[in-house]
Amino acid sequence: MENADQIFVILKRSLMTWAGVFLPDWSLVFLSILISIGAIAVFGPVTMMYLTLLERKLVGRIQNRYGPNRVGFWGLLQPIADGIKMLTKEDIIPEKADRFAHFLAPVVIVIPALLIFSVIPFGRGMVAVDLSIGLLFFLALSSTTTIWIFVAAWGSRNKFSLLGGMRAVAQMISYEIPMVLSVVPVLIVAGSFSTVAIVEAQSGLNWFVFTPWGIAGFLIFFLTGVAEVNRTPFDLPEGESEIVAGFHTEYSGMKFALFYMAEFMNTFSISAIVATVYLGGWQGPWLPSWVWFFAKTYALIFVMMWFRGTLPRLRVDQLMGFAWKFLLPLALVNLLIAGIWTEFKTPANNIVSSLILFAALVILYWANRPEIPKKRVYRYAYADE
Amino acid sequence: MIFGLGVLKGMMVTLKNFVLSYFTKERLTTVQYPEERIPEKERFRNFPFLIYDEKPEDLRCVSCDICAKECPPKCITIVRDSDEQGKPLKRPKVFDIDFSICMNCGICEEVCPFDAIFMDHEFELAEYGRFEDLNYHKDDLLKSNEYFAKIRPQDAARIDAKLREKAKLKETEIRGHNT
Amino acid sequence: MNLFDSLASASFYAVLVGVLATATLTVMVRNLFHAAIFLAFTLIGVAIVYLFLRAEFLAGIQILLYVGAIMTLVIFAIMLTSKIGDPQMPQSNRQGIPVLMALAAAGVFLVSMILKMPWNAALVIQKTDAVELGKALMGEFVLPFEIVSLVLLAAMIGAIVIARSDQ
Repeated sequence: MENADQIFVILKRSLMTWAGVFLPDWSLVFLSILISIGAIAVFGPVTMMYLTLLERKLVGRIQNRYGPNRVGFWGLLQPIADGIKMLTKEDIIPEKADRFAHFLAPVVIVIPALLIFSVIPFGRGMVAVDLSIGLLFFLALSSTTTIWIFVAAWGSRNKFSLLGGMRAVAQMISYEIPMVLSVVPVLIVAGSFSTVAIVEAQSGLNWFVFTPWGIAGFLIFFLTGVAEVNRTPFDLPEGESEIVAGFHTEYSGMKFALFYMAEFMNTFSISAIVATVYLGGWQGPWLPSWVWFFAKTYALIFVMMWFRGTLPRLRVDQLMGFAWKFLLPLALVNLLIAGIWTEFKTPANNIVSSLILFAALVILYWANRPEIPKKRVYRYAYADE
Repeated sequence: MIFGLGVLKGMMVTLKNFVLSYFTKERLTTVQYPEERIPEKERFRNFPFLIYDEKPEDLRCVSCDICAKECPPKCITIVRDSDEQGKPLKRPKVFDIDFSICMNCGICEEVCPFDAIFMDHEFELAEYGRFEDLNYHKDDLLKSNEYFAKIRPQDAARIDAKLREKAKLKETEIRGHNT
Repeated sequence: MNLFDSLASASFYAVLVGVLATATLTVMVRNLFHAAIFLAFTLIGVAIVYLFLRAEFLAGIQILLYVGAIMTLVIFAIMLTSKIGDPQMPQSNRQGIPVLMALAAAGVFLVSMILKMPWNAALVIQKTDAVELGKALMGEFVLPFEIVSLVLLAAMIGAIVIARSDQ
């Protein structure tokens, strides 16, 4: 089991020793980085392509139909067919569009999506770059995506795009705050920003999600992650039947493929980070570490696609109300109970923090209850009375 | 009651749908066309065809031209056959139906007094040439009575009974004449 | 100086040149929206410079706050005052000569100050990681921290009051 666990590390090491025979020493550092980056650069887009296929098949099964299964056995060549289609489509730019902004937006929006892959620990000892600020890197990059969506919307010179873009920016900056706040308890307990250290602080089976602040934090982080990626039920910016296609209306061909790719890579990286930070990363009994990691990540991706198949879209005021009136106070209370949990001793800390969390939830539910209007009484409609 | 309960119930419904679609047939109602096909209903009509009884030479059509006159978009072209002296025969020499014009209304079937033209169930009739390939001539339109009985059994049975009645009536009339 | 050091300095100078280029483009471009985009790139470049100075936490916070939040605000402001974003607005460059003279004077002053200042590099690179920053904020600098939070509260209340419709 030890070998199966470390198979990729052993592979890379053997590749390095084989290359070290005929390459000078100073280039071995480059080679090591190149192998990691090459693995990510191959893995990222391929994952995204097959995630699109997985989503279509999953949502199809929920809707009583097969997904795509004509192109290749089980539809496995469908993403390649999609890629070829998008490459051969004509690249249409509206006449009065801002060419610089229109061109730049899809190019730059893929960059954070790819960069986040470098801090995700895929297994024991399998992280591309062990940054000491790994989690902050992720939060910072996912917050830069906001501007480029707006640049895309503005550069298209289309009222629907602009509307979608403004809604997108409003949604993304509102959901960033609970997202950052829900990660802070993890930082308190783990003591470091580095993703590797966070995973190693959840040894064995005491993952952070099995603690009172962990459950709330996990739910908040996951929901805000879904909102950051603009997926259903928060996909108002690209609401596919409401405002044509939101901020990527005027994009066709490869530019649209870049937006799509950025969205799916973001889906994968958010699921991976949630799995790392709350669900214990690659920790788990007797299976190899990377198997655990991928199982957790794909379980979260399954839940995201399940949301997509089930839920209708949230209206924009419901969306913002959810973030500011429910998730933000809950994240602050979560921070409080995480502090309490670290200070007290077991079992008192669990009981006290669960009580405070429960009280906060009850108060927030009561405060956010939907306003049911009074039954209307008409003055003249009851003619026969 | 509480907020998230409706969402959770909805998600359980879709999960049940997803899981059971692997096991039961009514949760996955897709028909994998063209490997599997659902047979068409008997009254489905698409494109007309001419009927012959035994051999393609004795087709029931006598080129009375009623269907060509009643056809709303005028897609039928009929030219009556004539023998060597120029006397007209009760047979069409040319019977063209233009598929790009035909609107599959079935009026030609309803007005034919000789039960010679009926609506077929064929719909996979795509062609490459827009004008020359979609103009069906008499030989393409001839199909046998057995084929008709296979695709529309009730109508075929009714028409066959009627024709047998007529033949029996003619027999008795001829016998009545002779005696 | 082996290959790595030369590569490191070369990349440092490349990043500096990039930051200067985007900063220049920010002030030279006619279209205000493009200027905002270049400003975003400049701030990302500054974050990379922080990374070179071993202040990783500061680099992360710079990207998170400046590029993630403040640039979004700037772009919103540009978009909402739509007249400013129109590239056909006339810009007045009639005061060219006085401005150049003032700029030259300010430039001479700055350069002479920079050259006269006794820069000495810190012997020990100070760690500016999150723990030290948190302790400083809550310990030594707690008064500015509370005042900043009051200012933010005032700003939020002001925004709500302004944005409220007259009922």
